[in-house]
Amino acid sequence: MSRRTLVFVACSPHPRSGVSTTARLLTDFYLSRLADVEGFDTDPHAPRYHELFPDRTQVIDIAAIRGQISLFDRLLVDDGVPKIVDVWQRSYDRFFKTVKEIGFVEEAHLRGVEPIVLFHVDPSETALASAQSLSASWRDLPMVVVQNEGAAPLGAYAHETLGHYPSTRRFVIGPLDGAVAKTLEQPDVSLSRLLVAPPPEMSIVIRAALKAWIAPIFTQFHSFELRRRLEGAQFLK
Amino acid sequence: MAQRPTKETKQSSAREERPPVVREKAPALAPQRGRPTLILVGADKGGVGKTTIARVLLDYLAANNVLTRAFDTETPRGTLYRFHPDQTSVVDLTSTSDQMKIIDTLATAQVRVSVVDVRAGGLEPALQALQDTGFLDAVAEGEVGFILFHVLGSSIASLDEIAEVAPYVDDADYFLVKNHVNDTTFFEWDPVTHRKYFEKVETAGEITIPKLNELSYEQVEIAGAPFSTFVANRTAEGGPADHSFVLRGYVRTWQNRIADEFDRIRLLDRIAGREGA
Repeated sequence: MSRRTLVFVACSPHPRSGVSTTARLLTDFYLSRLADVEGFDTDPHAPRYHELFPDRTQVIDIAAIRGQISLFDRLLVDDGVPKIVDVWQRSYDRFFKTVKEIGFVEEAHLRGVEPIVLFHVDPSETALASAQSLSASWRDLPMVVVQNEGAAPLGAYAHETLGHYPSTRRFVIGPLDGAVAKTLEQPDVSLSRLLVAPPPEMSIVIRAALKAWIAPIFTQFHSFELRRRLEGAQFLK
Repeated sequence: MAQRPTKETKQSSAREERPPVVREKAPALAPQRGRPTLILVGADKGGVGKTTIARVLLDYLAANNVLTRAFDTETPRGTLYRFHPDQTSVVDLTSTSDQMKIIDTLATAQVRVSVVDVRAGGLEPALQALQDTGFLDAVAEGEVGFILFHVLGSSIASLDEIAEVAPYVDDADYFLVKNHVNDTTFFEWDPVTHRKYFEKVETAGEITIPKLNELSYEQVEIAGAPFSTFVANRTAEGGPADHSFVLRGYVRTWQNRIADEFDRIRLLDRIAGREGA
């Protein structure tokens, strides 16, 4: 079985589409399984993702060449450690421009690293156009459409909207009740620890709501991971 | 339509004081084995990126399997030589023996393409030397190919060089090179000035060299290796290196864009003397 180092690029050209939430959930997914994981936050002004995992993430200024070196040179290391990039919406254009200019995707494939775009959908036409543009630029770059029903609800025409996206693979992040969502904003709340040993001071209702929210999301991540392993299984070919 | 300067125009220009050149038939260079080509990269102004262009050119020719020798006129210690020591000789273009070293061997050397990186302030003297030695006559006779890459700076003084160079390049493939390495502009924002310099001389075309970010450029400088060696993640000695992939990517993309420019002007066809180039 060929195992590849996964690089998840959580992105959206628009704000408030749930990019940092996905980066957080994915990081916690690996941590909950006691797996190593490394993250990169491309918002140097308000690095929310980095604040949640200060020991496992670094803040990158993608506009600076040194920042690009810190990011892309590290992403290209095939060490089996999954890497997660939280692409801030204002870094979106610069990030993919750099990816193109330096030939990152092609080099990653040569080195046994597999970048996967986690594209966060919203109802706008421009989001769809951005996803189609990415897909057209890199035909062999896997894309998973992330539908965050709380941050960027698609409304009644969700199915039709998603049908236009250039990927059939999808993660659905369910909506959270306001009070529960507020709990998540506290930087000391760890989703991975919550599953194993919930903090005793946390309300039982909130704890249950969070677990109910996380469980299907982690199941999707697990299912995705298993599918990738099956696809890479040489003995099945 | 831009007018090519006539002989009369040339004589009435800034070089009036020069005695008229009697064009005798140039001595034949040698038995032909495919036409040799001399490529001159120069400018009178300093700091416009002449050696950078020469380095990129050597990489481009090597990538296209064109064997090339190079001459660095920045005596005694040349920058081009530092990056391409295996194929570069440091010469003094004002010395007759070094002129012979370049011109007399054009047709006899195994390598048919010679690139000369002319030091700052040396372009006009170099062209004068080429005229005095009869090289330009040999070009006119079609015995040898001559390509001039005139690298421009953003100053009026640099643009004035165009008029000074023009009289020597009747039979050459004369290219104006706009080097954007230093975020330079070439008075595109001032149409009158731009027209004055760029539309009054007949050239084979213009080449635009895009900007390479400073960090990438610096790292290649530190590596002291050709651009292509840096991109291949090798040291100047040929061993494995540990250069940043990001910087290598930027250099590769930059090289490719310049290669597109050389392809656009059909440089390889010109070197080969193919019709239509």
